[in-house]
Amino acid sequence: MTPSDLWVLAQAAAISLLMALASIALGTLLAVLLTPLAFAPWTLLRAGYRLYIFVVRGTPVLLLALLVFYALASFWGRISPYAAGVMVLTFYLAALFAEVFRGGVLAIPRPLWDCCKSLGLPRLSILRRVVSPLVARYALPPYLNVCVMAVKASSVLSIISVWELTLASREIIERTLDVYRVLAVAAVFYFIMCFAIDRLGRQLESRLAARGFAGERL
Amino acid sequence: MIEIRGIRKSFAGVEILRGIDLSIGAGEIVALIGRSGCGKTTLLRCINFLEDYDAGEIKLDGEVLWYRPPPQTGARRRYPEKDLARQRQRMGIVFQQYNLFPHMTALENVCLGPRFGQKLSAEVAEVRARELLTRVGLAERLNSYPAQLSGGQQQRVAIARALAMKPQVLLLDEITSALDPELVAEVEDVIRTLTQEGIAMVLVTHAMSFAREIAHRIAYLADGQIAEIGPPQEVLDRPRDKGLREFLRRIR
Repeated sequence: MTPSDLWVLAQAAAISLLMALASIALGTLLAVLLTPLAFAPWTLLRAGYRLYIFVVRGTPVLLLALLVFYALASFWGRISPYAAGVMVLTFYLAALFAEVFRGGVLAIPRPLWDCCKSLGLPRLSILRRVVSPLVARYALPPYLNVCVMAVKASSVLSIISVWELTLASREIIERTLDVYRVLAVAAVFYFIMCFAIDRLGRQLESRLAARGFAGERL
Repeated sequence: MIEIRGIRKSFAGVEILRGIDLSIGAGEIVALIGRSGCGKTTLLRCINFLEDYDAGEIKLDGEVLWYRPPPQTGARRRYPEKDLARQRQRMGIVFQQYNLFPHMTALENVCLGPRFGQKLSAEVAEVRARELLTRVGLAERLNSYPAQLSGGQQQRVAIARALAMKPQVLLLDEITSALDPELVAEVEDVIRTLTQEGIAMVLVTHAMSFAREIAHRIAYLADGQIAEIGPPQEVLDRPRDKGLREFLRRIR
């Protein structure tokens, strides 16, 4: 493995990270829209939510990737594997994030809902001032868990020819037959990315803790 | 001022409140006492409509609350959410477990209702909140988070939060029960100062001496009904109801 191979792997790692970050951002947005459906007063919406979770979460990402890629291709002809890849990860992460957020909502103690009611707060204010900030705190650790998974799940996209860290590693291996060293370098790159997310999360957590938040009081 | 008529409430087929009638005058302080499970807390929650009730009527200054008066035929209907919010704001409630919003400072906790419930400007809400927190002796702790406050301090913030809506009635649900004994006095002192201001209060309590001191009337609940009601001297010193005599003997 030459230094130029290392440089190629670094670029591929950057693409992996970008794919993951884009999907995390979009997936979070989609999840924010999905979670309220789980608490909707209409059965149909709740059923729709559950169906989405079951289908998307119950399908291997690999299969989901192939499915979305070929389905989109048959609709629109050729499609960028990168766009398809972000879309697949977005759908997948949205299902996981939505469940993480739902858990956060369920963790809000009932008496706090009573307080909101007795203060006569409108629904939107409750959502904005009480529910969102509390869910953000309760859901942070499991949310980061999913983010770390997202980085690793991006490797699956190599199957639809997204040129990212895993695919680049395989190309180099095929050329150099230097299996172990290339894979070790790739693993180190994945580790660095996941570790960075973890550190970022810890920092956020301690910042929230400094702002007086201790979730277990109540 | 508050007229409660024939309130009934069941949980899973068990009737907790079996026809409660109670009138509370302006500025009157009524203490609810009774064994645990007798329905005192449920009654208090029904008054603020945190719990819906199966039958009966609650009026505040002549206005029927929570449910629209039923037309000649047909079932009663709840008021829309907006009206319920407005009606709830005429009462303040303080809970046993303080229930402050953990992600907000004392000041933010108290501001929340006036700002977003009553739609006051941030400045007006803050002036009011500062004033109230000063009154409950927490002028120094405005920017502390609940986790940084003692139980007694948290409960005083909760009282300020309830008062911030300028309610006509304050509902107090065993507000000193969760406190360490040495912190009870500071919360009771705050309530004592409120009695001078003529705000009506309904308090659920097990602290008999405190109830005797501040309440105009004491109501003893048993089996979902008011078994005895009257001035403290009568109810506590010359109880007529057999169950009440037993109850008072046990807690002494």
